[in-house]
Amino acid sequence: MFDLSMMMAKIVVILVGTLGVVPVMVWFERRGAAWMQGRIGPNRVGPFGLMQPLADVIKFIFKETFTPRGANKFYYLMAPIIALIAPLCALAVIPFGSKAFVNGHEVILQVAQMDTGVLFILAFAGLEVYPVILAGWASRNKYTVLGALRGSSQIVSYEISMGLALLSMLVVYGSFNPHDMVSWQQGSLGFIPRWGAFVNPIGALIFWISIFAETNRLPFDLAEGESELVAGYHLEYGGMKFAAFFMAEYVAMIMASALISTLYFGGYGILPGMEFAINLISNFFAFGEVGMQNTKAVFEFISLASKIAVFMFLFVWVRWTLPRFRFDQLMDLGWKILFPIALINLVVVTIGVYYFNS
Amino acid sequence: MSPVIIILCVISAALAVTMLFTKSPITSALCLLGVLIMTAAIYGLIGEHMIATLQLVVYAGAIMVLFIFSIMLLNLTDSENDFKKKPFVFILGLAAGITVFGSIVYAILNHFKNEANDKTLGAFSSETVLALGGNSKVLSHALFSQYYVSFEVVSLALLVAVVGSVVLAKRKVD
Repeated sequence: MFDLSMMMAKIVVILVGTLGVVPVMVWFERRGAAWMQGRIGPNRVGPFGLMQPLADVIKFIFKETFTPRGANKFYYLMAPIIALIAPLCALAVIPFGSKAFVNGHEVILQVAQMDTGVLFILAFAGLEVYPVILAGWASRNKYTVLGALRGSSQIVSYEISMGLALLSMLVVYGSFNPHDMVSWQQGSLGFIPRWGAFVNPIGALIFWISIFAETNRLPFDLAEGESELVAGYHLEYGGMKFAAFFMAEYVAMIMASALISTLYFGGYGILPGMEFAINLISNFFAFGEVGMQNTKAVFEFISLASKIAVFMFLFVWVRWTLPRFRFDQLMDLGWKILFPIALINLVVVTIGVYYFNS
Repeated sequence: MSPVIIILCVISAALAVTMLFTKSPITSALCLLGVLIMTAAIYGLIGEHMIATLQLVVYAGAIMVLFIFSIMLLNLTDSENDFKKKPFVFILGLAAGITVFGSIVYAILNHFKNEANDKTLGAFSSETVLALGGNSKVLSHALFSQYYVSFEVVSLALLVAVVGSVVLAKRKVD
């Protein structure tokens, strides 16, 4: 019973944390875009336009639920559901803290502890192709089919370089388990923390580029391409069905940010300087070992959340800074540049690991 | 067996039957995808996370994408009418299927009828696997030490298949 309730609590933390961040991100995306383009942005609803997402949701709910003629209704409705489920499932494997003590029991702060760990995330990242294909095909519209073809070939192409970059990090850590990865990154390389990004910078860069393509964000948003394809694969969706796609994009961004933080930027490992704060709080309240571990867990969650926030900001920053690629440029980048570099990097990292371990 | 597994089995059997009898190619492909995902879920529920993950990565995430992609690309909407019922072929296929399925069931039942087979366990019980550091570790050790040569031979066979398919496709274009 205790295990079940703790499992439910962890799932609720993940779900509320992720879906609760989405409206904030929508607001930030619009304000950030306005800020970068020298505009004001939404500022009418609430202070600084903070209530704008709420207004958006009300608008989405009251729109007509419309299914285009000739569409395959079942697949048409299934696509946004899969789009939202796949990244949420992948989040189950990402740990948001080492462990906490509740009622004297030790609770590991991760929903699913399995020995395949990050490989499981890759499995669900692979399933993110289906909503694009299904939405494009089921809508029975030329633009959506074009968007779906572009989007799926892009996701499939960049999955390879993403997988190779991930593999090079697995060679370094020697484990699939995200907890092992985080504890490996706890040390320091002189004056910088021993994060994966400093050990394997090329892999980190390739992984970072690939997650932009995987989440269909600019400069890789060829699946949507407003100026060419109207809105791409989700052209025929309106109301809450469109909102599901919209939310799925942000959930996928959060998942990707959490993944890159865990793999390359120390995960939930506490940020430099936080140890001082933990000691200060523990001494002030005279916590025992249990209280200290719980305080540490809180700070670990804050560390992971702030790392995710940095990557979310980068997503917005890049989106409103870089123009969209052309399709052949996108394919060239994926297959002729990133793929060979990732492959060579994997060999180099393997040799380096062998050299340092012997 | 937990009731969840039974429910998953029933769903996957229903999807498999739908896959066989549907006329639209994309429904057929998606039902196969559903079967693969359900099987992965069953593997996961009995504690074989490695096999479940590989099932999702390789079959659901890569091979089925290729299937659905080519169905969409070729736009096989008219082929729904291509399925003509040929009773003779259908009965022959049905008979062959029942024969193969029956022999498999017979072989399995025969195997477990023997008391000794039922009670002798392999070297890897779930406790020993856990003590050796998890399923993925044991599997990788076996693959890269004991079965190294066969592993490499299989990868060579895949390479031959890739080269062969490129050669075949090229000849058609030229």
